[in-house]
Amino acid sequence: MSPAKPENPIPDELKAQGWKEAVKAFFFERLGLDSAAALAAHKRVPIHSRELFYFLGGMALFLFGIQVVTGILLSLYYKPSPDQAFESVRSIVTEVDFGWLFRSIHSWSANLLIGVLFLHILTTYIMRAYRGPREFTWWTGVALLGVFMTFGFSGYLLPWNQLAYFATSVGTAIAENVPVIGKYLLLMARGGENVTGDTLARFYALHVVILPLTALALVGVHLYLVQKHEISVPQDMIKKYGSAKKAPSMPFVPHFLFRDMVGWYLALGILAALAALSPTDLGQKADPFGSAPPNIKPEWYFLFMFQALKDLPAYLPSENHKWIEGETLGILFFGFVGLIVAMVPLLDRGAASGRPRRVLNFFAAVFVAFIIFMTARSLMMKPPQNPPAQAPPAAAANPEGTS
Amino acid sequence: MSDSFPRRTWLARFLGGGIAATLAALFYPVARFLRPRAATSSGALEVVAPYRMNELKQAEKTGVWPPPFNFGGKPCLLILVDGEPRAFNAVCTHLQCTVEYRAASQDIFCNCHNGVYDLNGRNVAGPPPRPLEVYQAVKKGGGKPGEEEIIVSRKA
Repeated sequence: MSPAKPENPIPDELKAQGWKEAVKAFFFERLGLDSAAALAAHKRVPIHSRELFYFLGGMALFLFGIQVVTGILLSLYYKPSPDQAFESVRSIVTEVDFGWLFRSIHSWSANLLIGVLFLHILTTYIMRAYRGPREFTWWTGVALLGVFMTFGFSGYLLPWNQLAYFATSVGTAIAENVPVIGKYLLLMARGGENVTGDTLARFYALHVVILPLTALALVGVHLYLVQKHEISVPQDMIKKYGSAKKAPSMPFVPHFLFRDMVGWYLALGILAALAALSPTDLGQKADPFGSAPPNIKPEWYFLFMFQALKDLPAYLPSENHKWIEGETLGILFFGFVGLIVAMVPLLDRGAASGRPRRVLNFFAAVFVAFIIFMTARSLMMKPPQNPPAQAPPAAAANPEGTS
Repeated sequence: MSDSFPRRTWLARFLGGGIAATLAALFYPVARFLRPRAATSSGALEVVAPYRMNELKQAEKTGVWPPPFNFGGKPCLLILVDGEPRAFNAVCTHLQCTVEYRAASQDIFCNCHNGVYDLNGRNVAGPPPRPLEVYQAVKKGGGKPGEEEIIVSRKA
């Protein structure tokens, strides 16, 4: 209820049309907003026990928005050169007003975004929402996950600290293990044999130009497809109510949008709290010729791959039968898994009829368990113990006398 | 004019071919541009180490070992074994991190994935698939005894 308004001073003839309506009509006619309004009115969100899953896409979009805004702000002070990158980030967090806040939010929001995307893709799999005609929605989504992981990888180098330098060194060296084109990939990624200022420039261009444009285009197609095919209604709901149309749903505007906003406020609060309580480290400036410091680790979402590569022996099946290098096997394995994930809509042959997908579910469960196990293993692993103060005598270290 | 090659087909082919040639002409310089330029490092085959014998002996006593240094664009690890200098390409053969010398356990260690090499550069534990590249390190006479310079060299 609004308080009583004063008498409307607008003359009757204008009041008949109403100036607000006139302004509205001006924009609607010229921008063709009628179709957009019709689309918004038409959009509905299914209601069922798993409806929380539907918040993940909107949450990812919100966090992407945060990244764009904080990223633009950081770019105003950041300088992408080996001589200045570290110092400019240090100046952002120590000298620029609220610089610490924006840098921490950028870093934390990136981490939350990847987490939300993992959940988004997992819940989409669980609800089988990729089934026809939504294959391209799945594919653009998988591509976006790849884009955002690359965002994370390229952004990690930008502060040019020890951790970033060696994580990038290792990450790009992994690319070298791709059969046939590995060396070429390494050179293209680093812009040379080693991680240098050219690498920093390439990663910067990737991070602030190439990836944002790609992400915007993909998000555009992804959202267009979501409008085009409407939100997928789970198969058990269709079965229960006879058709997707008859299943209970709520309008997106304003009902679901307001619920989305509750989530966004929550995310904003969490981000501010994380940034204030646990601001992102800067570490030591990179020293390209110094030894790698202990505890070199990538971001948490690469840990499972990092740990798997650490656990693989140098050669398989054994030192005496050098059929394949451990790294090469690892990278082939993860490449294969990525391919399987992308092909899920094609592999799930019974999606349309609602036939169970036991084989696919088995592999999905194994892979998710593998990710969780390897990540936990990496997080719990202690740094190597300090070596004994005195080297053991050669005879004791090598009792059989072999060398 | 035979029906199998109507004029329209030829026109379409010329148009398509022309566009393809234009694209190729545009992408060729882009592809060349993306290819890394020639290495800016010196690629030197010989260098005078920034540490002298007495400095290494001192490091041996204190246990604080000097970090690797730049030798032709790659980090070079210089250590003392039984009083004689030894030099290695400090790039780990696993995933190209820079290794460090652990004086206490008398080995060379990579912090990234726990690779271990012995003092001959041989990969003895962890994931490294190959030994470290060994450089030649010789003391250069002259100057005060015990303060000789160290010359590190490698094969081309």
